[in-house]
Amino acid sequence: MTTPNPVAGTFPRTDEEIAARVKAMEAILVEKDLIASDAIDYMSSVFENELGPQNGAKVTARAWVDADFKERLLADATAACLELGIGGIQGEEMIVFENTETVHNIVVCTLCSCYPWPTLGLPPNWYKYPAYRSRTVRDPRGVMAEFGFDPGPDVEVKVWDSSAELRYWILPRRPAGTEGWSEEELATIVTRDSLLGLTDVAVPE
Amino acid sequence: MRPMKEEIPPEFKAELERLVDELPFNEEIPRRSGNVAFNHPWEIRAFSITTAMHHDGAFDWSEFQGELIRSVQAWESSHDTTADWNYYDRWMEALERLLNDRGMLDLDELDRRTAEVLSTPANSHHQHAVREPVNVVPSGAKGKEGP
Repeated sequence: MTTPNPVAGTFPRTDEEIAARVKAMEAILVEKDLIASDAIDYMSSVFENELGPQNGAKVTARAWVDADFKERLLADATAACLELGIGGIQGEEMIVFENTETVHNIVVCTLCSCYPWPTLGLPPNWYKYPAYRSRTVRDPRGVMAEFGFDPGPDVEVKVWDSSAELRYWILPRRPAGTEGWSEEELATIVTRDSLLGLTDVAVPE
Repeated sequence: MRPMKEEIPPEFKAELERLVDELPFNEEIPRRSGNVAFNHPWEIRAFSITTAMHHDGAFDWSEFQGELIRSVQAWESSHDTTADWNYYDRWMEALERLLNDRGMLDLDELDRRTAEVLSTPANSHHQHAVREPVNVVPSGAKGKEGP
């Protein structure tokens, strides 16, 4: 729960309340045909990366440099994220899987668009598309290929279904060539797609 | 099939940035690397409802600007701290009032629907925790494996 704003005037309130208010407004306007959901989605897509996976990137970079933290993250992601001040609604129970040389994990929500947004920010529009949801379950390697990534034939691929009760995200592999980088530098190269398991983390040219 | 990665035309992004540049107190808008940034998903949603409706011709940008000025000034006259300032709180207030004035949104209905959203658990149809993978493609498998 968020803490009530001690100096709130006539206008909201907690983030949970105002988020509900925006959601209700959108539903009313769409029902009345005053605007289409697609048009709002399209506008969101222009700046959606600016909501950023910066929290997830921060957690990932910490796990790469601090083995004890990584152990806590993989044991209880919710508690480990709270250590860094990251949590809140939709982040209540999280499980993080580590991608390794032998196992590659990928996340989908098969029914709707359950998403750990306190760590990963706003879900991209395609996360909600039926095509992404069904194809990722059926053919995860094919979907990864569309994102330009091939985990290699020797790797087992596991697909995880995020629900409202339990949300997954992925600890990507630390790329070679980043030895000696600071935590802050490492956080800058972690992408949203890598935290969903769609790609790996690349070192920029 | 709809492409998963939609390319946004640069001129469309430039048009949105021009709208933002014309907003009052826009130096208060959070930015990252020069781009408009958001700290919560609802902020980008409120932003997008506003720009999409303006784009469709529901109201002139100057009308939204006017409401936003009123909302910010009302807040400033009733608060002596900036600690709880959030540009998008004021943004949402301005949008509500504008749509209400234009007969497009009833604020009582908005209150009622907000209460409904708050009393419904998020994704109530997808509550059950799924603790096993929904598919495992073993190593060495090529292409379309799975159930």
